[in-house]
Amino acid sequence: MSLSLLVQALLNGFGLAMAYVLVALGLTLIFSILEIINFAHGEFYMVGGFVAYLAFGVWGLPYLVALLGAIICVAAAGVIAERLVFRHLRGKTLNAFIVSLGLLWVMQAAAQLVFGVQDKSVPSPFSGIVRFSGVVISVERLAVTLAAAALIVALYAFLEHTRTGRAMRATAQDADAAALLGVNIEAVSALGFGVGCGLAGASGALLAPLFSVSPSMGALPVVKAFIIIIIGGMGSLPGAVLGGLLLGALEGVGTLFFSSAAVNLLGFLMVIAVLLLRPRGLLGGT
Amino acid sequence: MAPRHAAISPLLALGLLALAGVILPLVTGDSYYLDVATTIVMNLLLTMSLRMQISTGQLNMAHISFMGIGAYTSALLAMRAGLSFWLTLWVGALVAAAFAVPIGAIALRLTGPYYFLITFAFSEVARLIFNNFFVGLLGGPSGLVEIPPPGPLLSVAFTGKLELYCLMLGLFLLGAAILVRLEYSRFGLAAGAIRQGELLSATLGVDVLRYKLTAFVLGSAMAGIAGAFFAHSHRVLHSSDFGLEPMVQLVIFTVIGGVGSIWGPVIGTVLMTVASELMRELRHYETLVFGLVLILTMLFLPDGLVSVPSRLVRALARTRARRGAIGVDVAT
Repeated sequence: MSLSLLVQALLNGFGLAMAYVLVALGLTLIFSILEIINFAHGEFYMVGGFVAYLAFGVWGLPYLVALLGAIICVAAAGVIAERLVFRHLRGKTLNAFIVSLGLLWVMQAAAQLVFGVQDKSVPSPFSGIVRFSGVVISVERLAVTLAAAALIVALYAFLEHTRTGRAMRATAQDADAAALLGVNIEAVSALGFGVGCGLAGASGALLAPLFSVSPSMGALPVVKAFIIIIIGGMGSLPGAVLGGLLLGALEGVGTLFFSSAAVNLLGFLMVIAVLLLRPRGLLGGT
Repeated sequence: MAPRHAAISPLLALGLLALAGVILPLVTGDSYYLDVATTIVMNLLLTMSLRMQISTGQLNMAHISFMGIGAYTSALLAMRAGLSFWLTLWVGALVAAAFAVPIGAIALRLTGPYYFLITFAFSEVARLIFNNFFVGLLGGPSGLVEIPPPGPLLSVAFTGKLELYCLMLGLFLLGAAILVRLEYSRFGLAAGAIRQGELLSATLGVDVLRYKLTAFVLGSAMAGIAGAFFAHSHRVLHSSDFGLEPMVQLVIFTVIGGVGSIWGPVIGTVLMTVASELMRELRHYETLVFGLVLILTMLFLPDGLVSVPSRLVRALARTRARRGAIGVDVAT
């Protein structure tokens, strides 16, 4: 097998994985702050896709405006969901899981009532391909990967270098201690939920031109995101990036040798192996 | 030890449940109602055994996969080896239990959300295997078709809906009797202790892993029985029957009913199934209403529907206390 084929496979894998990392980062951020597993996270991704479909595909606004609009709308939806529902369920994993399933159904059914069940295609804002010593990548996928990477860097800068970001990390480490030190943990958890959902919305808007949008589009990325955060470590942001890269590599290279079902199976077997050997994930705390 | 009256009321409840199950086909011979009732009784075996596992403190997302293992085992033995359903039913349960021993031993090393996630990963592995691997044996994406119905037993032919209902009711009552017996035994006490304080129970000499594994394996065997019944009554098997969606349905039935009581899943399963049958006409609105009900129930009744009577009693007692002792601050 030639080297360029391997590089091509890795690039294909990484390209999509970066967008799924955005979903995973939101999921892991929410888990770290509220200790809940939000199964409806894929539905926030779906809303982001539909905002992009409306703003860019139907109203003809510039793509960047559509992307920003998706982030803002979905972040706002996340804040509302946290204030109305999830703040009452901090640390109650089982109940929060059921509630997130309820939210999943409500959001999917609402999307079906508004947009119908049919897939809707979103025109591509980019065209053409880039060739680089035998490796071919479409500009569209390159743009998705770069935009996702930029958002990951922005999130990192926000968490590391702003006062609010520090408060968020403190709450994730120990909510009670953070509250004692004067952190408004209610505001922080609402904001954290909003940021997490906004990232999912960004991912949905980025991938909308690649895949079509539909009310059930959130199911696949949320499962990928779960695999990513388990591999990397629940609650660990660098872990989510590492997990995404590993899953991207596995899926990119795996499709060269195996059927897609076998690649999916490998992903879950990797999850089981990581959970057994290092339950807190590769980069999770001890 | 549990007080004497605590052991009488569950027997009474079990008797009432059996009575209701027996009376139902006498009241209605309608085949649609019998179909719904059969599904409810099958789901009851699944949710009550799932609740028994939850009673040791953890949610097993792979419960449905053991139902699938029982279903595929029984169907394949009947189709390929020509064995009688009355044998394959129990073999299905045994095979499900046999798979549960190593899987449980591995998964139960984890706790909390990690256990939840590893069992979810196991269930996806099982579903992918049913769907994509050993296609010649398991039927692949098109599943298994033309599974033979249960053969005649004691000159009763199990082809009609009524006979199938009675069969499932019998299997369920057997399972429920075992679960009730366990709940009010040393096992039930240990499970409760583990749920409330795993570390403390371990230090007091409770073999935590043994109890959890027992619950896991026994629950899986019951799921295997439900699966074998499902295979031979539907006569068609598909991998999606054992995917995330039906599993989520079981979890919802169980948790909405309430996991704190052995009767919670019964209330949840019956009410939710009847409600969803009534709302079938609403189409997309059904999911919308269902989702909202789920969210509101969990927010306002975190212990499930089964906690409604005790909540009412407490609320009543509070108002009485307030009336009886005017001027005295009621602490609660």
